[in-house]
Parts: sequence; structure tokens; C-alpha cells
Amino acid sequence: MKTSLVILALVAAVCCFSFSLRQKKEYKSFYLSSLSQFKQEEEQLLHTIRYADLSNSTDIKKIKEEIVSSRSRLKGMDFWLRYFDPISYRKLNGPLPVEWETEVFEKFEAPYKRKGAGLSLAEMYLDEETINKDTLSAFIQTSLDSLSMFTRDSVLMQLDTDDHFFLANRLYLLNLAAIYTTGFECPDTARIIPELRMMMHEVKNIYTRFNADFSVTPLSADYLSLYDNAIDFADRQPAAYSAFDQFSFLKDYINPLFRLNQRFIQSYDVISLSYNDYALNNEVTSVFDKSLFISQNTKGIFSLVEDSAVLNEIKRVGKLLFYDPIISGNNKRSCASCHKPTEYFTDTTMATPFQFDEKNHLPRNAPSLINSVFNHLVMLDGKHISLQDQARGVMSSHEEMSSDPDELVKKIMSCKEYRNAFKKFVKYTPEDKNPGMSHIISAITYYYADFSNYYSPFDNAMNNNSAIAADARRGFNLFMSKAQCATCHFVPHFNGIKPPYIGSEFEVLGVPSDTAYTRLSDDKGRYDVNPAEETLHAFRTATVRNAEFTKPYMHNGVFNTLDQVIDFYDVGGGTGKKLIVPNQTLSSDSLKLTRNEKNDLKAFMHSLNENIIFDTPPAGLPVSSDKSLNNRKPGGEY
Amino acid sequence: MKLLYTILCLFAGTTLLLQCHPSKKVEYDIPSHVTDINRKLLLEKAEKGKVLYQLHCSGCHGIFTKGKDSIPNFTKIQIDNYHTAALIGIDARNHAVAKKMSSEQIDQVVTFLRLRKVKK
Repeated sequence: MKTSLVILALVAAVCCFSFSLRQKKEYKSFYLSSLSQFKQEEEQLLHTIRYADLSNSTDIKKIKEEIVSSRSRLKGMDFWLRYFDPISYRKLNGPLPVEWETEVFEKFEAPYKRKGAGLSLAEMYLDEETINKDTLSAFIQTSLDSLSMFTRDSVLMQLDTDDHFFLANRLYLLNLAAIYTTGFECPDTARIIPELRMMMHEVKNIYTRFNADFSVTPLSADYLSLYDNAIDFADRQPAAYSAFDQFSFLKDYINPLFRLNQRFIQSYDVISLSYNDYALNNEVTSVFDKSLFISQNTKGIFSLVEDSAVLNEIKRVGKLLFYDPIISGNNKRSCASCHKPTEYFTDTTMATPFQFDEKNHLPRNAPSLINSVFNHLVMLDGKHISLQDQARGVMSSHEEMSSDPDELVKKIMSCKEYRNAFKKFVKYTPEDKNPGMSHIISAITYYYADFSNYYSPFDNAMNNNSAIAADARRGFNLFMSKAQCATCHFVPHFNGIKPPYIGSEFEVLGVPSDTAYTRLSDDKGRYDVNPAEETLHAFRTATVRNAEFTKPYMHNGVFNTLDQVIDFYDVGGGTGKKLIVPNQTLSSDSLKLTRNEKNDLKAFMHSLNENIIFDTPPAGLPVSSDKSLNNRKPGGEY
Repeated sequence: MKLLYTILCLFAGTTLLLQCHPSKKVEYDIPSHVTDINRKLLLEKAEKGKVLYQLHCSGCHGIFTKGKDSIPNFTKIQIDNYHTAALIGIDARNHAVAKKMSSEQIDQVVTFLRLRKVKK
């Protein structure tokens, strides 16, 4: 009797176990079936292309329809695919034929050339004058081939646990905030909102299946109901993306959903295995929190110092050094010479700063240091990978500060106040016991980084629901849609870093050398660092924050007002003004913005002015034992 | 007698001390084609990495200490994986220090591990 009971219990246990195993498969099998449906559609598309007559408009129309249909299928899976393998994703539906990238964890390596393929490129190819079947098929075949990357073991394994889900969901929400409503990857603007709606409904299906399989770590009821409301909102909004209320969508739905998802990541102890999450902070509760992602390490060699008294002391010394012309070869230029704290840490008085010789000018505008910490690559050509490298570069450059590093350290150590401070600081850097350039530079970057932590009225509206002017709100909706600003200036920093915030983007705009547009600026930009067809005249996308106060604009400071800048984009950049820029990445078509719309855009930009509290320059500088050094003026002389 | 006693004590003390502090000398293995200037730079970097490693890593990942069981002391392949992992996002819960390091510091630690001569 006892034996039979045991056997019965065992059988019951096995049954339960196998039942729970079968239960667990719903989510994963949904992934696999979606993938195979997409594969079938692409195969069908390839078949259609093979037997089509490309000179026949009916056939072209049929191909287009099938591309659109496959794209929709793909968009329904965006949630997973973008997260699992963003590099292969570019082969499925890459927005550009060639992209150059230096991602944050590849900082020490040369930029990668990544070739795009897939549906969007195939669709754009159909509009070209002469087309052939081989090229067209190749776009689709490449896309089909790369599908196998999404069924490899390392991907399928992840579907058995819940970790990837909340991280993929975070990326999805960030993409909803930053790119899905802007037409970033959807050349046909009429399809942006319909595609968005379809995607949101599809993701709801993913959510349902996930909750069925992972009942211990589910999406909560309040998340799901808020998500339903978000879908409802998107469904009820106008289908034209320029009439879609981007502001409310982001503030009332996406950002609160992001907050809830961050809570899941924390409370479910989610672990990341993907480089997609490298830069993202699990603790923030808003997309518009300045610590959403990590980009620059501002502490440099002092990274491991925790003692706040010591850190404050480092900051104090950093401030002195920031204003101290001792760091230049002739003891007349300081950081504050070109990055004036009273002028948002830039120089609003000249297009480009003086060279060291005080006669000629440098080729590029001095950028504001505010928010410079939110970049992966530093300088307009992305020459440097860290703020510390940048400072080192400027100090030793003969055109800028013309300092010899050894000489510089000696001069600084000749001042008792600096010497005593650094003697104390090196106790915290056991790997480097002699005060040197690394210590000096890290103190400076640590000082000025603080000024990037202030918020603007726009942030406050997003974060605290505070009021914002109606024109600024309209301006944001335009910024995200018709004015096409947000396809390069991404939420939340409105610079060239898009989700998952691991790389900086460069664009070719065709900036002229003068306001009469007589010729293209001859600055080669990114080409100097990474020579390639695509990088000629490309510059890193800068932030729009504080734009009102950081004139002049563009890499060469050619424009003095925001009106000029808006007009430049409105007309289609350099090409729009009949300059020859074969690789311009900005559309050369006019945006057709009205006067009112331009004013709204400006109102939005003004709402990005941060409420920064600037501090005052030091009254005096540390005294040196070398008397010839004691005539230094705080802030420098030119 | 007293002298002998003192000498004995000293000897014992030194031996004990030496045992407690095993030699921290590390030999490096740099390929012969590396130029002298680069060799010097690499060694400087590795020495900085060594200091950081001793302070922050070797409590668990032994090299200078016994370390902890089942935590790797780094073979060649482990170093390569660790570099990637360290830069990509290792689990912060037991690698808090590595998470805080600047990328230069991580680079120094990895350079130390890469160049360190491992006895076979």
C-alpha cells in the first residue's frame, strides 16, 4: 500500500512538473512562431522579386506591398530583436547602407564599419531610377540570412528566464520615448503612427504570454492597465505624426511605464548579460533623470575615492586649476579663457577662439562644457574617448595652450597650496603615488562636471508635472515630428546619443563657411579621425540644451542666432542651399515650416534652458615659489 | 647565549615575515617585437594595474593571496573574457569596485593580467 502511494505521489509530481514545463513554453514558442512567420513572408517576398518584371509598375507595387507587410511583421518583434542582437538587426532593417560606430565598450578600438541591409533599404532602392533584381534580392537575402542569428542557443537560452524580458522592455520603452514616433527608421511619414499602433498592440501579446509563463515575476496589473491606456491614447490620436500629441504620450504614458519597469528590474533582481544595458542606470525613475545613463567618468584617477571631504577638496583644487593660466605655456590662458563660466562655459563673443598666438583663430567653435559629460566621444570630431584625454590634448596642443606636460606639473608643484593638496590626494591613488597630469586633469573634470546636473523647465514638466507654456509644448511636438529634429537629437539629452545610449552619432549637414553660403566649410570633421567616404564633413551631434545662451552655432560658429539655425535646417542644409555635399545625411528637402512653427520650436528650445547656478571665479591663485609666475590673473588674459 | 638567542629570534621573525608577505615581484612577458618605448609604457601601465589588483581584486581572485575557492585566478582565456565582461557590465553586486573604476584603471588591471608571466 505504502509503495503504491509513493508511486502515485511520484507520478503526480512528474505530471505537475511536465505540466509546468509545458506552461513555460508559451512565451518562447510565441517568439519562435513570430520569427518563422516573418521568415515565410521574406521568402515569399524574395519569390515575388524573382518572378517580377521590374519595369512593370503593378509588379513594383506588389513588391512594395509585400515589403510593407514584412516590415510590420518585423516591427511586431522589434521588442526582442533589437535587444538580442542589435548588430544583426541592422541587416534585417538597417536604416543606412553604411554606419560607422564606436560604441562605449569599444572605446579603445577603431570605429567599426557596419553595413545595413533589409526592408527599408530595399524599399528606398525601389524608388531609384535604375534598379536591378540582384541588388534588390540581395537586400532581402541578407536579411533572411541574418535571421539565424536570432535562433542561436545563446539567444534561445535567455527566453527561458525572465531577466532579458525587463531589460528588453526597458529598451522598448526608451525607443518609444526617443525614436518610434519620430520616423527615425520609417521614411514614409504617413506610416509612422499606424506602425507605432501596430507595434504597441503586438507587444501587448508578448506581455500576455510572458505573464502566463512567468507568474512569479509578472508585469503588475497597474503596469498592464497603464499600457492599455497608452495603446488607447495612441489609437485615438491623429494618424498624422505632426498632429500626434508627443508630449502627453511621453509624459503621461511612456515615462510612468518606464518608472514601473525600473521598479521590476530592481525588485526582481534582474541581471543583465547584454551590452545593451552597459550604460543604463537601474536606479533612475525617469527618462529625464540626468543619470539615466553613464557616459563620462568625471572623477578620472580619483574614481575610487569615496570620502566626501576629500572629494570636496579635490573639487576646490579643480576649480582653482580651471581658472589658473599656469596650465598654459605662457601662463596667460586658462580653461576659463574659452569656456567662460559666466557664459555657460563657452565663449559667446567669437565664432572660434583665438589660437595660442593670440592672432589667428582656431577652426572650431568652443563648445559649452555643460552636458559635455553626456557624450561617449568628446570633441566635435570625436577625437577623444574621455574628458581627461580631451583636457590633456588641449593643454599640450601648440595651437591652444602649448604646455609641456612635465613643465606643467613642475610649475603647479611650485605652488605650495597645490603641492600640499596633491600630496594629500595621491594617498588615495596608490597606483600612482607621484602627483602628475592625471591628478591635475581629473581634479579639473571633476570640478566642471557638476554644472551638468541642473534641470530645465521641460525636464521639470516631465519629471514633476510642473506647468509648461503651450508654445513650448507645441514646439516639442514639432521637434519630434515635422521639423525632424528628433531623428538626430534624441530624448532625453537632445544630442546624438540614442537608446541604448552606448554610442555617439555624427551627421553631415553641409554647414557653409559663411552666411552667404559661398562655399562649404572646408573642415573635414570626423574624417580627420576616421577617414572614410561617409565621414567627410561629419560632426558629432551636439545637445540642444541651453542653446539660447550658447551661441554662436555649428562647428565653425557661422550662425549667430537660433533663427539662422532653424532656417538652415528648414531649407535642407547645405544641399538645400545648392552647395555640393554628396554625402549629406540631412534631407535636402525643405521642411516647409511656417513662421509660427519656427517660433514654437524656439519656445521649446528655450524650455531646455537649465536653471544653472554658476559660481564666481576665485579671488586669487596659489602663490608659486617662482616669482615670475605670480602675476597670473584668475581666468587668464585672452 | 643572549646573542645566540637574539639571532635566533631575528631569524625566526624574518622567516615568519617573509612567509606572511610572499614576494610581490611579478615577472612580465612582453613579446620581443614590442619597441622599447612601448615596452616601458606597457610596464608602467601593468605596474599600476598590479597595485590596483592587489588592493581591490586579489581578495577573491587570488594571485597574491590564496583567493577564494572556485573563483578564477585567470588563465589567458579568462582574462580575455573578463576584459569584455568588465567593460560590458559585470554583476555589480559582487564587483562593486570594478564598476567604479575608470576605464583607464580597468585597462591597467587587464594589462597587468595580460602581461603577467604565468608559471606552467
